[in-house]
Amino acid sequence: MVLVGSFVVVALVLCVAAVLALFGVTHVSMSGAEAIERDGLAPGTHAPVWSLVDSTGKVVRSPPRTPLQLIMFTDHSLKAFPSVVDGLREIMAQERLEIVVLTRRFNELAEPVLRLVGLTGISVLTGSPSLYAAYNVRVTPFAIFIDSAGRVRASSLVNEAWQVTKLLQLADLPLEPGNLAPRGRFRRRTAGAGA
Amino acid sequence: MDVLILCAKTAVACLLIVAGGAKLSDPASFASTVRLFIPLRVAWPLLSATAVGVSLGELAVGLASLTLPAITVLNTVVFAIACAFVAVSAMGYAFHRGRSCRCFGALSRRKFNAAGVLRSAIIASIAAVALAHVGTAALQLDVTARVLLFAAAALLALVAFTAARARGAGSEPEPEVVAQ
Repeated sequence: MVLVGSFVVVALVLCVAAVLALFGVTHVSMSGAEAIERDGLAPGTHAPVWSLVDSTGKVVRSPPRTPLQLIMFTDHSLKAFPSVVDGLREIMAQERLEIVVLTRRFNELAEPVLRLVGLTGISVLTGSPSLYAAYNVRVTPFAIFIDSAGRVRASSLVNEAWQVTKLLQLADLPLEPGNLAPRGRFRRRTAGAGA
Repeated sequence: MDVLILCAKTAVACLLIVAGGAKLSDPASFASTVRLFIPLRVAWPLLSATAVGVSLGELAVGLASLTLPAITVLNTVVFAIACAFVAVSAMGYAFHRGRSCRCFGALSRRKFNAAGVLRSAIIASIAAVALAHVGTAALQLDVTARVLLFAAAALLALVAFTAARARGAGSEPEPEVVAQ
């Protein structure tokens, strides 16, 4: 026997089930391991080209003149990651490496915080959400190593010191032929206030 | 038996709503799939308009099927759409194997393959079940029920749209770095 109006019950149950399934699919895709692996750029990919001016007037370019450039996507919240700060201190003395901090938007607190945690001499650059998007970075602190040819050598979300040093080791590895992504994956224009 | 038929009818309607809502979140991508099936050179705006039209059509038929269940001709329309899915899947499998079908926008990364043809056939068979006669008592809806169903369907479409947009943003970034 079918009750009067049972269609409504069936339809509502299925609608609710479909909505819950969509929430589940979205949650898994945005927060799971799959999503974290998707962030950043694959090794061998050509990174966006830009030049920006830091607060001291120094023009910073990417790709760098040094063999390697570490772009730290972070802001004043870096002080909440002391282990990452330790990792940066470990590698910042290397002359072949240029470390820059790229904030998503103007953040006057970023430089004082870097000084406070002992990371002096690091350029703090004001990026933009679109620049973050170009690097496919959503969550900070995120580290991307770029070589002087403008290719990504390693990239990952970092929470611990060992991750920073491990990424530097990975950045030193030669790129496999399969990892040499063709140019033009991203449409690029110079993004910067500098020259 | 009636409950089975009602489930089939509702399931296909929900599927159309989700597919339409998800495709609308990124009509440009779906337009690139539409282009695969148009042998002539067609201007991009026309392709884009076709993609939006197909998406809106799916959404509208799904909404109508869910909120106006007593109109039996809608079951036939839904079945015809499901048969079109089978035809498109088969053509995609034959001529564009391995290409993304974007049947659910960015919600799914399904490609034109044999499994896709099978899935479409299953959907068509479910739509065929929905063609069967159901007692009119089960389909009686008052205004409140109709409004409730419409709200649920609209919510489903909105969630599908948002979920597809979120997944699309994360999976295939093609941003443009703008000069500051």
